[in-house]
Amino acid sequence: MLPLPPFELHQPVSTAQATALLSDLEKPRIISGGTDLLPSMKYGLFTPPHLVSTRRIESFSAISGTEEGLSIGAGATLSSVAAHPWVRRHYPTLATACSTVATPTIQEMGTLGGNVMLDTRCLWYNQSTFWRNALGGCLKCEGEICHVAPKGQGCYAVHSADTVVVLLLLNAELELASVRGTRRMPLESFYTDDGIHWASLEPGELLTRIVLPPPPRARLAFRKLRARGSIDYPLLLTAVRVDLDEHNQPSGGRVVLSALGPRPIEVSDVSESIAQSKHEEAAETAWSQAFPLPTHQWSTPWRKKMVRVEVGRALAELS
Amino acid sequence: MNPADSKKLDGLEKIQGRAQFTDDLTRPGMLHGAFHRSPHAHARILRIDVTAALAMHGVKAVLIGTDLPIAYGVLPVAQDEHALALDTVRFVGEEVAAVAATTREAALAAARAIVVEYEVLPAVLSVEDALAETAPIVHNERRKKTNILRKVRREYGEVDEGLERCEVVLEDTYYYPGSTHVPLETHTSLAEPDGHGRVVLHTSTQIPHHLHIALARVLQARLQDIRVIKPHVGAGYGGKSDPFATEICAAALALRTGRPVKFILDREEVFYAHRGRHPAHMRIKLGATSDGTLTTCDFSAHSPGGAYASYGVVTAYYFGVFLPLPYRLENLRFETSRLYTNHPPCGPKRGHGAIQPRFALEVQVDRLAEALGQRPDIFRLGNLAPPMSETCNGLRITSSAMGTCIEEATQASGFAGKHNQLPHGHGVGLATSAYMCGAAHPIHANALPQSSVCVSADRSGRVAIFSGTADIGQGSNHMLASLVSRTLGIPLRDCTVLEADTDLTPVDLGAYSSRVTFMAGNAALEASNKLCAVLLEAASTKLAMESEALVFQDGRIASATDPDCSLAFSEAIALAEQTHGTLTFTGSYTPPRIGSRFKRESVGPSPAYSFTAQVAEVEVDTQTGFVHVKRIWCAHDCGKAIHPGIVEGQIEGSVYMGVGEALLEEQSFHPSGLHRSPSILEYKIPTIHETPEIISILVEEGDPEGPLGAKEVGEGPQLPTVPAIANAIYDACGIRLTEAPFTPERVLKALEKLEKTG
Repeated sequence: MLPLPPFELHQPVSTAQATALLSDLEKPRIISGGTDLLPSMKYGLFTPPHLVSTRRIESFSAISGTEEGLSIGAGATLSSVAAHPWVRRHYPTLATACSTVATPTIQEMGTLGGNVMLDTRCLWYNQSTFWRNALGGCLKCEGEICHVAPKGQGCYAVHSADTVVVLLLLNAELELASVRGTRRMPLESFYTDDGIHWASLEPGELLTRIVLPPPPRARLAFRKLRARGSIDYPLLLTAVRVDLDEHNQPSGGRVVLSALGPRPIEVSDVSESIAQSKHEEAAETAWSQAFPLPTHQWSTPWRKKMVRVEVGRALAELS
Repeated sequence: MNPADSKKLDGLEKIQGRAQFTDDLTRPGMLHGAFHRSPHAHARILRIDVTAALAMHGVKAVLIGTDLPIAYGVLPVAQDEHALALDTVRFVGEEVAAVAATTREAALAAARAIVVEYEVLPAVLSVEDALAETAPIVHNERRKKTNILRKVRREYGEVDEGLERCEVVLEDTYYYPGSTHVPLETHTSLAEPDGHGRVVLHTSTQIPHHLHIALARVLQARLQDIRVIKPHVGAGYGGKSDPFATEICAAALALRTGRPVKFILDREEVFYAHRGRHPAHMRIKLGATSDGTLTTCDFSAHSPGGAYASYGVVTAYYFGVFLPLPYRLENLRFETSRLYTNHPPCGPKRGHGAIQPRFALEVQVDRLAEALGQRPDIFRLGNLAPPMSETCNGLRITSSAMGTCIEEATQASGFAGKHNQLPHGHGVGLATSAYMCGAAHPIHANALPQSSVCVSADRSGRVAIFSGTADIGQGSNHMLASLVSRTLGIPLRDCTVLEADTDLTPVDLGAYSSRVTFMAGNAALEASNKLCAVLLEAASTKLAMESEALVFQDGRIASATDPDCSLAFSEAIALAEQTHGTLTFTGSYTPPRIGSRFKRESVGPSPAYSFTAQVAEVEVDTQTGFVHVKRIWCAHDCGKAIHPGIVEGQIEGSVYMGVGEALLEEQSFHPSGLHRSPSILEYKIPTIHETPEIISILVEEGDPEGPLGAKEVGEGPQLPTVPAIANAIYDACGIRLTEAPFTPERVLKALEKLEKTG
């Protein structure tokens, strides 16, 4: 087993204490469930001298559903979100997405906030220090070239958070706190095109809550394509939403894809096709807008082909 | 069997966490080891600077290649390894220096602080690279300046004439990828010096005896001064059948520092230690006459096998020698080679060297059956070599229940009603195989027994069994206790097995080549039969009965007809001891002299072969290309099952491993020679979701020479899994996959090609 690099653990009991620590400490990182952070630290991807844990902040694990919507503390475990009666009743697709993250044991530790904040991933990046050194590193860590797109300028590490594609279709907002105060931000403007600086987060900011409006008048479907039936990160994430009119007939819809690049993509010009139940056309539209890169072991052309299949199947589930 | 005796001997202590694996052992003052590894696939070492590392807090010693200059290797014919690279590194991840420090963290930090200057050399990373006229030479120190470790060419019968007489001849190329073992426990070693020049090595190994020899050689020590002990091992699958740098460096550093030293590899390092399945580029030409008789096979296989030989010389033979089994082939020709390349060294993995050709052969047999218009099971049944026969290359077949296996597997699966009849996307496939029960000729050619067992009876009635076998989780200790306790009619729990300690236990060559049950089992039977004889003599005198009229049962020696006339087992021991002194008996096993028809052939002959038939049922998602293996029926001729539960466990484990190699696993390398995915997140082995329902069928017709009729089960059942799945995919959707693993991309490509060509 790889040893963890040394760090100091801080365990604030309130958001105010936590944001104060984030402002005062040198290069702190936030730890929630730790299921992604700790393996990354063992690989030497980060060596933060300070970890600020949110585990003892009571409000962080709270989930509350009302007529006004749903509030999920950033520290609520994925299994607690998936099991919550309000979530299961009003946002069942979110429960499904939570249940596909890694494995059941990891869902017991991993949190929804942690999933929203999941670092982008890449075949060339999520490797040990020895391995990265043998290769000479990459743009995201220690190196100067991107092995995925050697002629490109940027980093294309892949957004791989299963729950986010569903949260986007549910119009989620993030509550972010810092010593400067609290702000809210739509999830759809949170991620960037840069695999290195992939989140629009300001220094010292802490994700405190994920807030959802009341569920839309719509049917949702979520599909995760992965190598095996458990543990694996996604090869493709697909979430579709079919909006319904007062007669429960399709009136439009949305398609969100991820695991293709640094941020999830919302497929454009697809609502009309969904309204007319032209699923093949919608799948074709999604396919034409998806551009996977060789960030995974599995073949890139095959991953592109799968966009059409997965969007088609997701829509078929809802018809 | 007594229900209490069906509980695996060490099951409870493992479940309860009491079983001691090597990493559970700690010693006062123990140091921790770590390696500095090569980042290059092929480079000359110009300079190693360990000054900074040695000066670091807690660091006690650093070793480099020149500290251990004597070459070793598990095969006497290929001594090409050093625990630490001497002057050249030959793969990414090769050990260059070893550190011992007071903590693991300090050892790892010091290993990183070692500075090595290299002159990078061009790397050899494929068969083409290796055989190119201007190829860089991986082992320049060898007399022959080529990258061919071993090339084998053999012909039995008349292949060209045989093919001419065939009605149907089909020729294809196949590729089987490299794969690795992924044992749960990573390689771990703890060496303790005794202060008088002796060293005791506790290590996770399959080969205590061969390791003992290698350690003495490299450390230039007397064999008497080295003791190898194998604690509980968390599986090997062939991956712990070589001497490893962990073992040699732990021992060398313990002697250097005078303190215990422990090494434990992390998971990534196990991918570099490797010794896994050889990739194989194969070509097969298979022919049958118009009456459906399979007569002739022309085969070639070439393997880019990595930087060191390991068992690679044997692999080159195994690629060819088992091809006739289980059929009645008349003519066989094969040309095989194992090449040196700049990859982590390949070695033996479950079904060593036989898995790859079996894929090519059994898919080709399926094609041939189709071309002849015969159902695959009927075609195979019509071509089986009978029991008590000899193959065209001189392998002696004794017992064979191959026909029964095919019948049982096809009946249980409803093969006849499903083959060619299921809806599109659903299919069944059949494959058969045979595997050895140990090699008749040992690695170190000598006339000594391959296995010896000592059985010692205590006055309490407890029997101790001393054996050099290595139980690596497969249950060989239970096998020994079961044979001895059954012979003596005592409960299994009254037996103590002391195993794998080179100071205390008689030699056994180790847990490889599926040899343990057959060889150590026979040795144990011989020893316990000798004990039986003296007990019988004592009981016969005491009870005044003919010894033929007595039986061993329920802890007593009793009259077969009058149960009241009996003697407690412990009483019999006390009586016999009065006459014979302490009751200790030995038994040993030396294979019969077989395989002499072809004088040069020492690889392939085995005292017996196991036979297996498998039917796989699959569902192919023709839009994504994912193959779902729903069920596998495996009928295995294990001779007799000494413990049916453990036999089923071995079948399930074999099939599981086969499914992984069929669908997911592949050693894949960056163009620099760097392993692309040295982690168990990215090197995909099946989870429970990919594991089919496995229906194990034990075929027990008995073997005349096996212990209580038993034959192997540890490896053979993996052989048919990949071709059975390949044949089922063909039945499901009409595509013949000739490259494993059958990834969604390969399946889709083949389907698209089929659509284009019709």
